[in-house]
Amino acid sequence: MDKNIIDLKNITVAFDGETVLDDLSLSIRDGEFVTLLGSSGCGKTTTLRIIAGFIEPDAGSVFFDGLLVNGIPPYKRPVNTIFQKYALFPNLNVYDNIAFGLRVSKTPEKEIRERVSEMLALVGLKGFEKKNIAYLSGGQQQRVAIARAVINRPKVLLLDEPLAALDAKLRKDMQNELKKIQRELGITFIFVTHDQEEALSMSDTVVVMNEGKIQQVGTPIDIYNEPQNAFVADFIGESNIVDGVMLEDFKVKLGGRIFECLDRGFDKNEPVDVVIRPEDVDIVPLENGMIAGTITSVTFRGVHFEFIIDVCGFKWMIQTTDYHEVGENVGLYIEPDAIHIMKKSKYSGMFGDYSSFSDEMDNISNPDFEEGQSADKEVDPS
Amino acid sequence: MKRKGTTALLNTPYAVWSTIFIVVPLFIVMYYAFTDNNGAFTLENIKNLGNYTDIFTISILYSLIATLITIIIAYPFAYAMTKKSVSSQKMQMMLIMLPMWMNLLIRTYSWLNILERNGLINNFLGLFGLEPLKMIGTPGAVILGMVYNYLPYMILPIYTVLSKIDPTLLEAAEDLGCSSFQKMIRLIIPMSMPGVVSGIAMVFVPSVSTFYISQKLGDGKVMLIGDVIERQIQMNHYDVGASISLVLMVMILISMAIMNRFSDADGGVVV
Repeated sequence: MDKNIIDLKNITVAFDGETVLDDLSLSIRDGEFVTLLGSSGCGKTTTLRIIAGFIEPDAGSVFFDGLLVNGIPPYKRPVNTIFQKYALFPNLNVYDNIAFGLRVSKTPEKEIRERVSEMLALVGLKGFEKKNIAYLSGGQQQRVAIARAVINRPKVLLLDEPLAALDAKLRKDMQNELKKIQRELGITFIFVTHDQEEALSMSDTVVVMNEGKIQQVGTPIDIYNEPQNAFVADFIGESNIVDGVMLEDFKVKLGGRIFECLDRGFDKNEPVDVVIRPEDVDIVPLENGMIAGTITSVTFRGVHFEFIIDVCGFKWMIQTTDYHEVGENVGLYIEPDAIHIMKKSKYSGMFGDYSSFSDEMDNISNPDFEEGQSADKEVDPS
Repeated sequence: MKRKGTTALLNTPYAVWSTIFIVVPLFIVMYYAFTDNNGAFTLENIKNLGNYTDIFTISILYSLIATLITIIIAYPFAYAMTKKSVSSQKMQMMLIMLPMWMNLLIRTYSWLNILERNGLINNFLGLFGLEPLKMIGTPGAVILGMVYNYLPYMILPIYTVLSKIDPTLLEAAEDLGCSSFQKMIRLIIPMSMPGVVSGIAMVFVPSVSTFYISQKLGDGKVMLIGDVIERQIQMNHYDVGASISLVLMVMILISMAIMNRFSDADGGVVV
């Protein structure tokens, strides 16, 4: 578990002059479930394809088990990929699809038969051997794709948004199943997704990417509770991100008021970004509140209500199970452990205000706005 | 109901066309094949077909050779074409189609000019004091004519199938351990078989029944089954001509049925 299976060192890739990966370094430990998380164009799929060998980096090195593998073609690398649209061979049936890799490596037919039926049992497709893949459902094709990759006993399994095409319920089942398969086989999974919930629920380690750079690497809990910058805080879950000033250790000033917090190690009077998760704020009567605001909207979300509260023009999102009316003036109560302090970054001021949920919404009525000006522009090469 | 009526209406022109020019002639062929000069039923014509066994064999043999050569030329060409840029693919496609816009007779006549005793090639050889080659009237010239005329019909279906192969399938094959050569053997060739089968049907069938190519480039010395049919009909021996045609048709249908089994279920033979 402590040995690194893959090391990416200072990888840079550009397509048509557009930088896709910018001096990216990443180490992946043997047996880990690692998720590369980011919106489209962040470079996550490119990173996966570099590991698979489909793309050669313009600069930087790729190591497998400590050995340099730059220039080694995909078919000689000890990895297998599960493609986004499965890429099953339409001219072969389920059995022959799964057996493909073993046939290429000239494994004896008897062993192939044993291993294929082992795989079919693993993915729950016993009795499907002779089926034409065109007649399988999306979920079944997905399982065949998993079996076809895993049967070769790769050291690393690469998964390129494999669940994107499945409906929500099936996706949850497949998340559990993938996790189970990973535990049973004990091989390293590198999973690419843009779905933060998926990343949090499946991974040992989450790598948050944006604009060809790694924003943060950590366990799901770390990433959620201790985001390193405004981008990560906004991308993972919902966050209110407000400007603050760190007066001294454990004391932050925001909205004209001093709050106690659990963070330290900042310079005196250093300007910072303050993250407060919507579920960590309580709505209290005006006189008991630390901050005052007016409720501008209420949305019923099932488990809780979602309030947008205007505090001196800044829109906070609060999630709580108690109902309040729109237009009500209320107080907000924030515990010290609900406050997370981040250093200022280039993403400061771009996120965390809930006037709208997306950049696109902010600019949708602006005729001069062009796609590409926003922070997460679309340059996905795939 | 209305919809069904409209569809039927749209089909009418073709239905009329195929009845007049395909179904009726087939019955006429059958009628002549099984009747004698007086219009009485007879199996004589069919029994006499034994006389033409040699010509049948030669026709099939030459057509098979021609088909094989077109595959050998067309497959690598079509494959290389799919690797080119879109504009260059369009250009090459134009160049392949261009000769097809010219009449078969003119194309064959041009080959006559190139291959004949005083033709282009022999004139060129003469410049070096070489003896003229005898090319017209050899099986080689006939097969060349077939290959030249029908090559586009082999390239097009193979190209169509190859260009439709999803590139991620090739990546998947590579990911599963295939070198470029294995990718070819294990994935590309099997997946392109429906195209090859279509190509075979489209080259073999016209080759086996041709008479013009063999008459001109074979100089009457190479006699194919098409020539026999043509001659018999010219001589008003409709019964003999029809019976040979019938047998040829049955043979073609049988071979197409066999080929259909080799192409996959939904690919089918595109003729």
